[in-house]
Amino acid sequence: MIITGSRKGIGRFLAEYYLEKGITVIGCSRSESDLQHKNYEHHCLDVADEKAVQKLVRNTAKKFGKIDYLINNAGIASMNHSFLTPLSIVEKMFKTNVFGTFLFTRECGKVMSKKKFGRIVNMTTFAVPFKLEGEAVYAASKAAITVMAEALAREYAGFGITVNTVAPPAVQTDLIAHVKKDKMDKLLQRQAIHRFGEAKDVANTIDFFLRDESTMVTGQTVYLGGV
Amino acid sequence: MNKEEALQIVIDAVKEYIDDDSTTINKETILLGNNAVVDSIGLVNLIVDIEGALSEKDLEITLTSEDAMSRRKSPFRSVETLSDYIVELAN
Repeated sequence: MIITGSRKGIGRFLAEYYLEKGITVIGCSRSESDLQHKNYEHHCLDVADEKAVQKLVRNTAKKFGKIDYLINNAGIASMNHSFLTPLSIVEKMFKTNVFGTFLFTRECGKVMSKKKFGRIVNMTTFAVPFKLEGEAVYAASKAAITVMAEALAREYAGFGITVNTVAPPAVQTDLIAHVKKDKMDKLLQRQAIHRFGEAKDVANTIDFFLRDESTMVTGQTVYLGGV
Repeated sequence: MNKEEALQIVIDAVKEYIDDDSTTINKETILLGNNAVVDSIGLVNLIVDIEGALSEKDLEITLTSEDAMSRRKSPFRSVETLSDYIVELAN
């Protein structure tokens, strides 16, 4: 299993969660991880660096003979009014969120196609259906991921590869650390379930997508917390 | 990588993919368009197989570059043109 953005937050939780289940996890992030486990490998890279992604995926395939699961978790957010958002931030968000997801999906998809089996899971956000002000670029980048997954589900279906997307509920991670409490309270009121979720809620949904039996589950997006 | 090595890799990949002993595969074999021995998805698979074979030889090459896609004459037309393209990228 490859998990991008596994150094902290939900990615770190997922890495530990699947290691606990006996799955070998290859993680990556821009900086080093302190996660130590005999079945864990960490690689430092920028997910939008095409050569680095190809190298990681090909080396992983060579070493293990296959890649069953990919979780495209790496993502960055910047929440600000568009008038105050420089183009460089827009480019960074699209590079990490969209280009990174595309590159890992394409390279892992090639490897998975050889075994006629693969499960790819992307991460999106409730900012997409809620169309949150101040998150125009972040939501747009995640909307791109959602639509890309729906199209790739069709492209990859013949290879036995499913592509699905999960939107975590409001989870208290670094991504929302600087969002004011009253704004978060308003957001929670818009969810069907008015409370923060936890990383384990995300893992539960991913488990469903990864199951061998989930062969007919593809091109789906699950918004946890209810939108 | 020289032309002969590239031809061998492409021919082996095509043979393995189509898995049909009655079809002769040589450098003239067409891969794209009318009379192609593979359909469009087959070509996708073939490209992935060839990239994998090149990777086995420690040649990390992506065949589907912007340059390849924008050429007036596709390098994926035949076994020979694809082999030439591989040599070009590898060297």
